Amino acid sequence: MPAEIGFLSMAAPEIFMACAAMLLLMGGVFLGERSARLITWLSVATLLMAALLVLSVAPGESRLVLLSDLFVTDSFGVFMKVLVLAASAVTLIMSLGFNEREQIARFEYPILVVLATLGMMMMISANDLIALYMGLELQSLALYVVAAFHRDSLRSTEAGLKYFVLGALSSGMLLYGCSLIYGFLGTTNFSDIAAVFAGEADVTPSVGLVVGLVFLMVGLAFKVSAFPFHMWTPDVYEGAPTPVTAFFAAAPKLAAVALLLRVLIGPFQGLAGEWQQVVVALSIGSMLLAAFAAINQTNIKRLMAYSGIGHIGYALVGLAAANEAGVRAVLIYMAIYLVMVIGTFCCILCMRNGGRMVEGIDDLKGLAKTSPGMALVLAIFMFSMAGIPPLAGFFGKLYVFLAALNAGLYALAIIGVLASVVAAFYYVRIVKVMYFDEPVGSFDRPVGREMVAVQTVTGLMILLFFLWPGPLLAAAEAAVRALFAA
Amino acid sequence: MIGLRGSGRETRAEHAQEGSGTKAWIGWPSFLLPAALLILFASWLPAIAAGERLHFALAWIPSLGVNLSFLVDGLSLTFALLITGTGAVVALYSGTYLAGHPHFARFYLYLGLFMVAMLGLVLADDLITLFVFWELTTVASYLLIGFDHASAKARRSALQALLLTGAGGLALLAGLILLATAAGSFELSEILASGDAVREHGLYLPILVLVLLGAFTKSAQVPFHFWLPNAMAAPTPVSAYLHSATMVKAGIYLMARMHPVLSGTDAWIWTLTIAGATTAVLASVIALRQTDLKLALAYTTVMALGTLTMFLGAEATVAIAAAVTFLIVHALYKAALFLIVGILDHQTGTREADQLGGLARAMPISACIAAAAGLSMAGFPPFLGFIGKELKYEGALAIASEPLLVATAAVLANALMVALAGIVALRPFLGNRRQTPRAPREAPIRLWIGPAFLAALGLSFGVAPALIADTLVQPAVTAILGRPETVKLALWHGINIPLLLSALTLALGLAIYARHRRLRAALAGLESRLPTTADQAWDGLLDGLRSLAAAQTRLLQSGVLRRYLLLTFATLALAVGTTLFAVDAVRLPRLWPELLVKEWAALGLVSAGALLAATTQSRLTAICALGVVGVGVALLFLMFGAPDVAITQLLVETLFVVLVAVVMLRLPRLQPDHGSARGGRLRDAGVAVLVGAVVTLVLLAVVDGPIDRSVTAYFEQASVPEAFGRNIVNVILVDFRALDTFGEIAVVAVAALAALALIRGGGLRRARS
Repeated sequence: MPAEIGFLSMAAPEIFMACAAMLLLMGGVFLGERSARLITWLSVATLLMAALLVLSVAPGESRLVLLSDLFVTDSFGVFMKVLVLAASAVTLIMSLGFNEREQIARFEYPILVVLATLGMMMMISANDLIALYMGLELQSLALYVVAAFHRDSLRSTEAGLKYFVLGALSSGMLLYGCSLIYGFLGTTNFSDIAAVFAGEADVTPSVGLVVGLVFLMVGLAFKVSAFPFHMWTPDVYEGAPTPVTAFFAAAPKLAAVALLLRVLIGPFQGLAGEWQQVVVALSIGSMLLAAFAAINQTNIKRLMAYSGIGHIGYALVGLAAANEAGVRAVLIYMAIYLVMVIGTFCCILCMRNGGRMVEGIDDLKGLAKTSPGMALVLAIFMFSMAGIPPLAGFFGKLYVFLAALNAGLYALAIIGVLASVVAAFYYVRIVKVMYFDEPVGSFDRPVGREMVAVQTVTGLMILLFFLWPGPLLAAAEAAVRALFAA
Repeated sequence: MIGLRGSGRETRAEHAQEGSGTKAWIGWPSFLLPAALLILFASWLPAIAAGERLHFALAWIPSLGVNLSFLVDGLSLTFALLITGTGAVVALYSGTYLAGHPHFARFYLYLGLFMVAMLGLVLADDLITLFVFWELTTVASYLLIGFDHASAKARRSALQALLLTGAGGLALLAGLILLATAAGSFELSEILASGDAVREHGLYLPILVLVLLGAFTKSAQVPFHFWLPNAMAAPTPVSAYLHSATMVKAGIYLMARMHPVLSGTDAWIWTLTIAGATTAVLASVIALRQTDLKLALAYTTVMALGTLTMFLGAEATVAIAAAVTFLIVHALYKAALFLIVGILDHQTGTREADQLGGLARAMPISACIAAAAGLSMAGFPPFLGFIGKELKYEGALAIASEPLLVATAAVLANALMVALAGIVALRPFLGNRRQTPRAPREAPIRLWIGPAFLAALGLSFGVAPALIADTLVQPAVTAILGRPETVKLALWHGINIPLLLSALTLALGLAIYARHRRLRAALAGLESRLPTTADQAWDGLLDGLRSLAAAQTRLLQSGVLRRYLLLTFATLALAVGTTLFAVDAVRLPRLWPELLVKEWAALGLVSAGALLAATTQSRLTAICALGVVGVGVALLFLMFGAPDVAITQLLVETLFVVLVAVVMLRLPRLQPDHGSARGGRLRDAGVAVLVGAVVTLVLLAVVDGPIDRSVTAYFEQASVPEAFGRNIVNVILVDFRALDTFGEIAVVAVAALAALALIRGGGLRRARS
């Protein structure tokens, strides 16, 4: 049927990526271990090509549902997919030098990243509980392997195992929730679920449905690492090889947030009163935990794990508002977070002393004297994460707090502000260490052209966001409209 | 409190070539820029005095209605003139004071950043713009306090100031956003017109508390006062500029700016009056205790800020006029005195009160400047300080609600100010000559010209108060009160109560000055007996934060997977359980169902298997026990008429036991868990029982409600006509979902192949090695 083929072309990016991943795998097997560099660059090209395809098949204002209503494309999907693809591509580029130096450069790594990214795109486009689970598992299975990618390192293996056990547990809960929802509504399709609630204005949902939704959210909370389901995050971030951590902190987190938005705003908008409370609880817990737990950290990767938990808490503040302004704030927040976290990890990947990677915050002492450029960029990210204006991070926080206040969630917004006061403490401490402490040693130079490029671009984006915020705001606006039109 | 003996000294390279250090030329543009701005702002004076308001705007974040807009009225122009005026003086002074310092250029960069931020703050018309500049001043202040980064004390003070004012800033942000919500606009010019709406809004109190938190931390009101004296670790020009003349006044500016919107309520009046009065009196007492001249000046700055806050609490025109006049007075004499202390430090090598004396002969010009500034501080006629003091007393008496409190506080604080003016401005120059670390010598002109200019302004405005009355004070008062006002300033008001109070102040002040050594010793004794100071309380707070962080890490982030699982399950059970109770969905069966013996038997089998699996020390036993549970469940299926499901269950169970047993046989023996004591086992059991109970409750609640039977109904109807089978499960597997089943078989086959390859590969490797 030509119509069906025409529809299928809307899924061209995903189809292309699946085929490309398989081809790359075959190529890697035939070319052997030495092909790692080539395969990595080809994977980057695949991701960028997919991003171009996403943009070229962008449905504009309309919303298309295809593949037996399992798959949806809209502006929201385009927004999220482009960000996810860009994040995967950049973190892949950043991994090149590290993997070669640590002698773990294998061609499987970029292919696993491509497969995980494919899973994320399926998650973003899911229009059915089963499609959601498919995408989630495709992503997760690839991530479990990637976390344990440094097979000879005890820490990396432990991280992979912990991630797997807890991840499997969360998947189980998610499936349990899905089955309860299916049992009570008789459908797994998002459009049909939404229609159930659209029919009745003041519906009292059955207990089974609410419990199912709670389990579903618990599963998703694991994936976004919100308190109290965050426990895997610090251990995995610390144990996994640093480029993998960078990847974990960026793309999968974004995809999980996209999925959370897709599920809660799409089919379950009618149950907003029920899930709002859960989101508020997750949000407060994450913000407070991250603020207090990060203070004592001495390992910068661990610190970033807590920072990520905190940022999810702030993003959830926007989601708790459960309206268009709130979700727009979430999108803006996550986009800015993505840039900050990639830039920060790019700096962490440059922390090499005498050919050995170092991860201690104390190793940053006096960085302003030894590598002033990197110190400046890292200081920009730290101040931005602390929410100090006029850096981009401030605007992210501003949008979510505004949305929460306009929705009448005063307590939530004020707790958020208090948590960011405490959080500012540890971000600023890093700036202090870099600028005011005496250097203990200098990092190896040069750090590689690609690293300098990533640092410069991300740093400038954060620093100068306030001059030209229009494009991001407009894109987020369109994405939100598409999400709510569903 | 902490004494910061001579810490400003180390910032400057010893015996540097004065004025001819590296990049000395940077000082000139840094001086000319504020000077040019000063002239520009001064050129707007006539228009502002005529009652105009200038407005500039630029769209910034249109989707939120946030603009980069600026408003110039009497209040903002007064501040802008102070900022650029003292800025020019300080820039000129620093060129010599810090000459030869290795980070000379960086210093000017920070200073320029601060000046721009401060100007943006006072000129902003948009709340978000205002906040952005507010935080920028905090960051610039952080960099300048920590400028001497070799000193641990400077680093600590910088961080303390940043955290405290940064925290206040975030509270302010929340307050400003709430304010914009209440007033319906981010534009100050619109908000200022909607004062009544805001005061009657339900959010008025939160707005007030949050905005005042921001203002009080920035302007060092008790109990947030301790960061300001510590901030004296900054080089002296910075202290003169940021921490006396401008930045600490940002909180005062904010309160003055918000006066038309927030003032007039009991909460506003009492909070400001009490906080201001306490700060003013307490700070001037502590100031008396200091021996470091710079530190003494720092506390008198806190006193001035308290006085300003106290008067801003009032509604009366004359009280506000007193505040504005004192603001100008204070900026002029305090900056001059700071710079003089810097000169003393620079030329003699010390700024300890006990080591300085009789310098008037060696440094006559500095002595004259110090005397002029000091007399203004003490409030002697014909200096501007006298007019300020008279106005303060008049204003205090005009405050309707609590004139006695304000007047008493003002008299006490001013008397102490007289004594301090003597200590800081007179004693170093009069009396016997003392031995100083360096032989005193008059300062070069570039050092003393700035303070001389400021002191001269103090004198000329005092002699001719009309110079500022119509052009500055009146428009500022008009802006603060939000209604047109006329203000007259004069040296001589005739004999009245304020004049009598002035006389009382002078007498009291001179008496204190005469005995200040004995008082200082007494205060030092008192201080050592105090249980804690605010500064120590701050350290305690930070330590508490750290131990809280450590405690939660021990609890939540042990690194042990089992602990994570325990916490996850406990959270889940608690969350779901609470939800069930909250929505009143707990359904307990009313009657125990009549169970047959075989049903009891199956139940016993399942329970025994579960118990055994939980208690055994052997892996194999545990797997077998789990198998028994599965068989029990299969029996239950069988009894309730689902033999097909029972068979499936039995097959899966068997397969599972065999597979897991094969894997387990390869693993090392299970070590008996000695680590977790009896309490740990009990806790685990508790959580397990809790999870089980909650799942049971969910099940009962679910069974209680209607289940969507559409899917079941469809298959019941369609299985015979479409698939010719009566066993619905089988029909789904092999007919309706045949393709899925095929896919699953394929997956299992591929997985088996991969497993085979792994096992064989392992065998090969072993064979090879």
